[in-house]
Amino acid sequence: MSLYHIAQAIEGSPVGQAIRESTWLFPAIEVVHLLCLAVLGGAVLMTALGLFGVGLKTASPQEIEVSARPYMTSSLVGILITGLLLGASEPVKLIDREAFLIKMIALALALLFTYFVFNPIVRKGDTGVQAKASAGVVMALWFIVALSGRWIGFS
Amino acid sequence: MDGFVNWLAGTPWSIALHESLYMYSITESAHVLAIMLFVGTIMMVDLRFLGVSYRNTPVSEMTAKMLPWTVAGFIILCITGVALFYAIPIRTWHSIWFRIKCVLLVVGMINAAWSALKVEHDKEKWDLGPTPRKAKVAACISLFVWTFVIVFGRLIAYNWTDCDQNQSPFIQQIEDCKAVPADT
Repeated sequence: MSLYHIAQAIEGSPVGQAIRESTWLFPAIEVVHLLCLAVLGGAVLMTALGLFGVGLKTASPQEIEVSARPYMTSSLVGILITGLLLGASEPVKLIDREAFLIKMIALALALLFTYFVFNPIVRKGDTGVQAKASAGVVMALWFIVALSGRWIGFS
Repeated sequence: MDGFVNWLAGTPWSIALHESLYMYSITESAHVLAIMLFVGTIMMVDLRFLGVSYRNTPVSEMTAKMLPWTVAGFIILCITGVALFYAIPIRTWHSIWFRIKCVLLVVGMINAAWSALKVEHDKEKWDLGPTPRKAKVAACISLFVWTFVIVFGRLIAYNWTDCDQNQSPFIQQIEDCKAVPADT
């Protein structure tokens, strides 16, 4: 079974069909996707700006991360669920699009880097060059995810 | 305003931006990405005002340190937003979603001004203690308004309420469809 066949099966599934055939379901899910993106942006920025020394100062990046964590995780869960639903409505079209491929690669990297590199570094209390560099990488990765995500609609 | 948007739609730069392969997409992408900066930072400050997060950070520090980023996001949103309107003036101006979004933008800005001038004027008293009711009210209005600014902003792109889609008298009234030039 090729990727194309999998995409076709998803597209023909009740969920995929329902979203594709409804007028308002796709926009409604897309709006939630976008709102989660805004929350994610805020949560990532709080910690990253703190690390760069241009955000909160009285709280350490370690403390900021504790406050921002529930918003980062819940927005990511929201983004993944709504993203899967959006993708299920037109997967055959998506798998041929460069922007979608770039987004999926960047998304995988962003998730791995955030949870296995960036968060552990911040939680250790590291605020040195390594931590600043990882904050830069995290922001760049999520920037690419958001940009290529928007670009799917244009390509 | 109708005369203005009709004229705007005929200007060469408006047509160029609308029909360009990349400039329109780049502008809209910048608009969406700036939401992360603008609404993202606003939401985090609102959560502090509500007393649910960043409770160890003084309110005064939260607002002072986040404001430049919020303003930066706002400037990008305004510039790209005006450009997006300029690219598709007539359709955008008549869109019900655009009209609701504009009303909400005004409400959001009035709330921000009220928050800065009236709510925060005695914030040193509650900098680290429990936040007063007025701060929570301002934060709730802010969260509500900016959420729906995003919702209605996104809906502008969909064509189900366009004047040329055979709308109900109610929608036609709100969108002032009579004023749409016949050749568009």
